[in-house]
Amino acid sequence: MLKTIQLDKHFGSHQALKAISIDVKPGEIYCLLGANGAGKTTLINLFLNFLQPTGGQVLVNGRDVQQYPLESKRDIAYIPELVMLYGVLSGLENLEYFAALATGEKLPRDKLLSLLQGAGLDATAADRRVSTYSKGMRQKVGIAIAMAKNAKALLLDEPTSGLDPKAANEFSQLLTKAKDSGVAVLTTTHDLFHAKQTGTRIGIMRRGELLTELNSADVSHSELESLYLQYMEA
Amino acid sequence: MLSLIARREFTEFCRDGRLFWTGGIILLLLLTALAVNWQHQRTADAERLAAQTLDYDDWVNQEARHPHDAAHQGMHVFKPQSALSMLDPGIVPYVGSTLWLQAHRQSEVKFRPAQDATGLQRFGNLSPAWVIQMLGPLLVIILGFNAFAGEREQGTLRQTLSLGISPYQLLWGKALALAIGLGLLLLPTLLFAMGMIVFTMSGNAMVDALWRTLWLGLGYSVYLGIAIFVVLAVSAKTATSRMALAILLGVWIVTTMIAPRAISDASRIWHPNPTRYEFTASLDNDLGNETRKAWMENFGSDQRWGSEVGIDQWGKALEVDDKAGYKALDHQFHKLWDTFDSQQRVQEWAGFVVPLLAIRSFSMGVAGTDFANHRDFSVAAENHRRIMQDKVSHDLVEHADGHGDHHFDYKSTREFWATFPKFTYALPDRKFALAHNTLSLAILVIVLLAAMVLAHRAVMPRKA
Amino acid sequence: MKSALFGKVFLHELRVLIADRTLLLVGSLLVALVLYGFYNGYQETLQREHAAQELAKKQADKHAENITTLRALLGGEQKPDPFANPFDPASVGGGMEMRYATLPTLALSPLAFGQSDMLPNYYKVTDRSKASFMYDTEIENPWNLLSGHFDITFVLVYLFPLIIFALSYNLLTVEREQGTLRMLLSQPLSLAILVAGKLLVRALPVLLIMAVLPLLLLGVLRPQLFQADQLPAVLGWLGLVLAYGGFWFALALLVNIIGRSSATNALALMAAWVLFVLVIPVVLNIVVGLLSPAPSRIELATKTRLITIEGLNRYHDKLSSDYRFTQDPEVLLPRDGKIEVAPRRQAQFLIQRDVDKEIQRVLNEFSTQLAVQQMLVERFGWISPAIVTYEGMAAIAGNGAARYLEFQQQVDRFHERWKEYFEPRLLNSIAMTEQDYAEMPHFEWAEVPVQVSGILKRLLLLVIPALIVIAFAIRRMRRFSVV
Repeated sequence: MLKTIQLDKHFGSHQALKAISIDVKPGEIYCLLGANGAGKTTLINLFLNFLQPTGGQVLVNGRDVQQYPLESKRDIAYIPELVMLYGVLSGLENLEYFAALATGEKLPRDKLLSLLQGAGLDATAADRRVSTYSKGMRQKVGIAIAMAKNAKALLLDEPTSGLDPKAANEFSQLLTKAKDSGVAVLTTTHDLFHAKQTGTRIGIMRRGELLTELNSADVSHSELESLYLQYMEA
Repeated sequence: MLSLIARREFTEFCRDGRLFWTGGIILLLLLTALAVNWQHQRTADAERLAAQTLDYDDWVNQEARHPHDAAHQGMHVFKPQSALSMLDPGIVPYVGSTLWLQAHRQSEVKFRPAQDATGLQRFGNLSPAWVIQMLGPLLVIILGFNAFAGEREQGTLRQTLSLGISPYQLLWGKALALAIGLGLLLLPTLLFAMGMIVFTMSGNAMVDALWRTLWLGLGYSVYLGIAIFVVLAVSAKTATSRMALAILLGVWIVTTMIAPRAISDASRIWHPNPTRYEFTASLDNDLGNETRKAWMENFGSDQRWGSEVGIDQWGKALEVDDKAGYKALDHQFHKLWDTFDSQQRVQEWAGFVVPLLAIRSFSMGVAGTDFANHRDFSVAAENHRRIMQDKVSHDLVEHADGHGDHHFDYKSTREFWATFPKFTYALPDRKFALAHNTLSLAILVIVLLAAMVLAHRAVMPRKA
Repeated sequence: MKSALFGKVFLHELRVLIADRTLLLVGSLLVALVLYGFYNGYQETLQREHAAQELAKKQADKHAENITTLRALLGGEQKPDPFANPFDPASVGGGMEMRYATLPTLALSPLAFGQSDMLPNYYKVTDRSKASFMYDTEIENPWNLLSGHFDITFVLVYLFPLIIFALSYNLLTVEREQGTLRMLLSQPLSLAILVAGKLLVRALPVLLIMAVLPLLLLGVLRPQLFQADQLPAVLGWLGLVLAYGGFWFALALLVNIIGRSSATNALALMAAWVLFVLVIPVVLNIVVGLLSPAPSRIELATKTRLITIEGLNRYHDKLSSDYRFTQDPEVLLPRDGKIEVAPRRQAQFLIQRDVDKEIQRVLNEFSTQLAVQQMLVERFGWISPAIVTYEGMAAIAGNGAARYLEFQQQVDRFHERWKEYFEPRLLNSIAMTEQDYAEMPHFEWAEVPVQVSGILKRLLLLVIPALIVIAFAIRRMRRFSVV
């Protein structure tokens, strides 16, 4: 579903990604681990066609994102570290707009409300201006947008950083739910625990290279941690 | 300490090219305008002098003829241009420069340069004054909008203040840096102008022009000083440089673009001036009334050229008409000019809010290109016309009226023409200019002080 | 799908602009500016129309008075005034009868002062020399001429671009700065549609206010707007507003596509505004003046005076002969269709006639020079859309330089006709009859219709730069960076 083939990305003389090939299948949660500057966000931007690859290919649902920028975006939902919304509008209005852009149709209010509830947002908050929301609440609107889209793939950029443990846990549950309904999920994270907990596969990146891939079921938490540190120090 | 701050600030806007590009373009405009105006003024002045001399020679050398016909030929007087019109032409493009002093009636000074220009003229007149008045504050904004706000965003403001520098020192240092930047534009312009004055003029006129240039320099320094402190105050008060820029551009647009026009139209609503039709109608009316009254007094009848007043009283009648007319003319013209004056006064007072209006008034006043100067010329020209007029009527009363029905047989000769004085008019000197412009200068200084206070309050410590 | 998406962006933007009150604020500011500008222009137009009515009345009253006097004199009830004698062609042509040649206002006149505050919209034509009336100017405080007027054209040319900037200087950059741009473009939405929707939602209300509000006011206050011949002018106005506004929106678009931050955008747009609206016009004005300098007015004055002197010499004898009415009052009454026109008055007529003839060459130089300047403005005006729009506005309002020049020429021709009518009577001492009074020439202003081709040319000069800017923006769009 989310696939890259020998993907290279240069920024001038700096090589941000080196021959990355990954393939996230439906029903998988792929967690990318790596330090800051490892190239995780660049990879996400390439999937969104916000950046153009220097070499190789990015495919979403079998389609090259450069050739089919709009079609491929119909299949993905994206939740950044900080979900940014229109502050002067309410959460519900924001959802309505983005959902309409995503699906091409205007959803009825009760459907929107149930989406927000499904994402865990308190019903009383739905009609408040987003400028009053906490980070977690915005994140939930972002999830609701993704759910409204019925996307085949989810791209998440550090989704849990800055969330309190309860919110992070709720978030993980939502991801698992998505996975179970056959969605391919690609998420970047620093959080080893979260990766082990929710991910089905884990990739470790360093300075633009994908060093290893492993099944999270094959390693324990402590094994993962020592492995990670080993790679980082090498 | 002050110079240290100023030097750092100055280096910054030299390095990022702001001063070079915006300042450079403005300086280019300034010097171009100065050169074009100067050249224009030189040729016009030479031509005027030649024509004025020729005009008088023709008058003195005319053949023997009836004085009233000579009065129809009249004399032309040409308004001299102030030397400083190269810096600020003021209203000169919008008022006439030539007056034909003829029998019977005072007229407006004719031939406005703007009439010989296209509609583009109405966008403004490129002159050093225009450039500094309009673009000077804009340059201050571009150089200074992020003076405080930008440093606050970068965090360097905290850093600097934590070193124990007082915010007031910072303020004056930044002001000094801005002043130096602007001085780089103002000074060359003034020096260039002074150079031209020294090279082309001499004697009292030169000294007068140099003094005026200095006064102009002072006025514009105060004007730009206002801009500097307002910009710094806003920059210090606003959280982000983006916000500071938005506010300052808004202020600039309102005070240089919108307000001058809006207030100019408001001043017309407040002190309405007549249209030409209304003015002519009411002048005709007054003239009619005054002459009728005078005829009744002098001849016991207002029936013109009836049985009571014959051709043998032509000279006397002219004299009566003229004398009666002077009163009506004075009344109407001075009423009109006073209306213009009141309109201008409204704009000067508005200088408290819109300093552009105060500096504009001060600048054209000091440059000798304002309405007060024009009025002074108009009055002098009209007085000269009256001198001619009175001599003609007097000559007719003395000589022709005695001829009975053969009034137009009478001819005056060159001896008589030679008794007419030359029209020697010099523009009022700088004392006149300063006396007329103390209000606008006072307003500018007060606004500058207010801007300084504002800036001081804006940088008060707790805000840093 | 595309149009549906476009509609959604449009509605959403509308909602945001309404919610953060931008639209309300900017919209009401624009309405206020338009109203004030319209008020000023409308007052001025009313004043001019009032003056025109008064002049027509004055002319008719004077005419009626002359006829009454004429009849009274024929009936012997009154004695003739030697210098206001209704039988004497010298008196009649020289001011007892006069023609106020008036330039009528057009339906769109309140939209632009143009040159109307400086050039007179009427002349008092008699058989006296052009020098006696053609150099008149409208009375206006020169300070106000210098400031310029706050009319609709000022609002359109100077302020409307600023209104456009206020709405759209950070169209895209603010979304990038807030981070919403990533959210938006992660949806199946192309940048072009997003930008188009955002632009249109801002353009529609302000263009509507700017273009339609003045027309509504005009429609209510000046019903002549609805006459069929006003259609080109009305369409011209709509075209000018749309094209000029379109240019500035296009520029805002380009700046947003290229610009990295809202602050740079604001500075770039202001720089463009200062350049196009302030600097280029004044510089072009100077350049035009240098390329085609005005002939010397001093020379004109000197020339006029010299010709007058020549005339005084040439007609010396006539000028020296005395009025005969003092000895023989009967000369003031017609006899066999003749009346004695005093030689002095013939001489005065002849001198002025000669002055007119001789100074014509110099005067032609002035009109040629002005025509050349105007041509230069037309040729180079396209470098600033502000110039094109300003000139176009003055033209459709009927207050442009061209219409005033045409008015002067028509008055000039009429002045010739007037003199031709009186010259044989005056020189051959033919008495005026009541019949003559009915047949004296009248000034009829022949309107120069608003030139559709001229309007179209101006529109092209605005639309082409706008399209170039848009094309450039579209090219740059491919390189647009979301992150």
